[in-house]
Amino acid sequence: MDQVELPKPVKYVFNWGRKYSLWCYNFGLACCAIEFIAASASRHDFIRHGVIPFAHGPRQADLLVISGTLTDKMAPAVKRLYEEMPEPKYTISFGSCANCGGPYWDSYSVTKGVDQIIPIDVYIPGCPPRPEALLDGIIALQERIQQESLPDRIAGRRLDPVTLGADTPLRLEAGA
Amino acid sequence: MSEVLAHRSRALTPAETEELLRDRLGDGVLRSVVEYGMFTLWIDPSAWVEAATRCRDERLLGYDMFDSLFGVDAREAGFDVVAVLYSTSTGNRIVLRVRCEGGRDAPTLPSLSEVYRGANWMERETFDMFGVDFTGHPGLEPRILTVENFEGFPLRKDFHLAARVAKPWPGVAEPVELDEEGNVIEREVGLGDAPGPYELDKAMAAQAQQVNAPPAPAVQPEAGADDDDADPSAEVTASATATGATAGSDAPAAQAPVDEDRAARAKAKADERRRKQAEARAAKAKARAERAAGGEAPDAAPPSDTAADTTAADEPTTSAPAEAAPGASPDAGPDAGATEEASDDAAGTDASSAATSTPEDDRAARAKAKAEERRRKQAELRAARAKARADREDGEDDA
Repeated sequence: MDQVELPKPVKYVFNWGRKYSLWCYNFGLACCAIEFIAASASRHDFIRHGVIPFAHGPRQADLLVISGTLTDKMAPAVKRLYEEMPEPKYTISFGSCANCGGPYWDSYSVTKGVDQIIPIDVYIPGCPPRPEALLDGIIALQERIQQESLPDRIAGRRLDPVTLGADTPLRLEAGA
Repeated sequence: MSEVLAHRSRALTPAETEELLRDRLGDGVLRSVVEYGMFTLWIDPSAWVEAATRCRDERLLGYDMFDSLFGVDAREAGFDVVAVLYSTSTGNRIVLRVRCEGGRDAPTLPSLSEVYRGANWMERETFDMFGVDFTGHPGLEPRILTVENFEGFPLRKDFHLAARVAKPWPGVAEPVELDEEGNVIEREVGLGDAPGPYELDKAMAAQAQQVNAPPAPAVQPEAGADDDDADPSAEVTASATATGATAGSDAPAAQAPVDEDRAARAKAKADERRRKQAEARAAKAKARAERAAGGEAPDAAPPSDTAADTTAADEPTTSAPAEAAPGASPDAGPDAGATEEASDDAAGTDASSAATSTPEDDRAARAKAKAEERRRKQAELRAARAKARADREDGEDDA
């Protein structure tokens, strides 16, 4: 199981099932958390994408959304929380502060990017990003999950992180 | 706390408060000021705890609520500590301020945590940020705001921000900038003034400066208003930059060269268009020939350029009439066949005549050119997308 790739149809159904039942743990640290809440509420409602907000705890969660300013003081808590989550687990860095420190780039107390302590799957830029951006990020993550190979995942081989807005058609043309 | 006689209707004025505290503390009260609407008493460090205790226990004062406590960096003089007290019975608020002993190296101050329980954590925070050592405090360590092993005191003015060492402050100026005589320099921040290390910043700055640059005619008329001799030069510059802001008696004279210019430009445009049409026709013919030669066999791997050209020529046929302007619609579908070419030629002659004649023709020709351009862009985009898709599929097959 952990050595051999699943047969293609089985893999498809397996990943399809996983990507539409993401229990989401929101680590809300600042104003971005409000946008996260807006995304989970009725207008945007990411439950229709199969993301279930407010998991009972990290041990029941598949997806960790870091939304807000992470300080050095809080960093160990985030690290520990991430390690409590069972594999396979995914992370979204939501907002400029979580991505790189944002406006607090020169602060003495702010961690300049959550990716310094935990691996990130999707970066969502914005200060704060709109709820639609979170929906975009979730869809990007689901596409990754759909493509994922279980043996790779078990062996610890991760796909490169996605940054929303960075992969534009222009970039594609330049690469072609 | 014993009984309190203080009441809102009998609240002491700042002057009375100062008099009372001077009576109780003697030299402990250094001076009083009213800053930012707050009555502030400067206290001697030796009388610090006594002052707070008096403020709390004096029956006429009744400062029973410890509002806040924080530090201030006084530069060479060391550090100040400010405590704000509030009286729930009189509604008065008083600020006690003290300069710590020990200067910048080892600022120390007696702790207020025995007088007000609430002072405990505020003194810990002040220690975290300024390094003021509060004697008699039950425990300043471990730090509560910063991480436990944090080095330095971040709100001191001489604290170095590591990020600022690596990358200078990107703004125009630090919040306060002083000149040699110690006066505050007040600068008006202009758009695009900020020196940034990135190309994008530079581009944006150039753009902003271009936008903000005063247009030539806006400046020139002021000079012209003073003396009449400056008038001709102003007009020359205005017509040279073609801002179209010139007005006055010379307008017809300036009109003629502009007309000529426009005609020449239109002609050049028509030529260009004809050339493009010819190219497209050639590509189309080539594609048709290839198709005929290959029979049913699809082009297995055409070079991407020809692929783009053929799609550019073929695909718009269905959508072209809808998107083209009504005047240009008969010519807009370039793929109808051999009969089309005649009309194309006719359009070409039309366009060339338009260069010399009526504006309606000119407009139609321009619309046609625009439609063609749009179609070409769409086709390119489609081709690029198709290629990307093919690449992706190749990649998946490899995987």
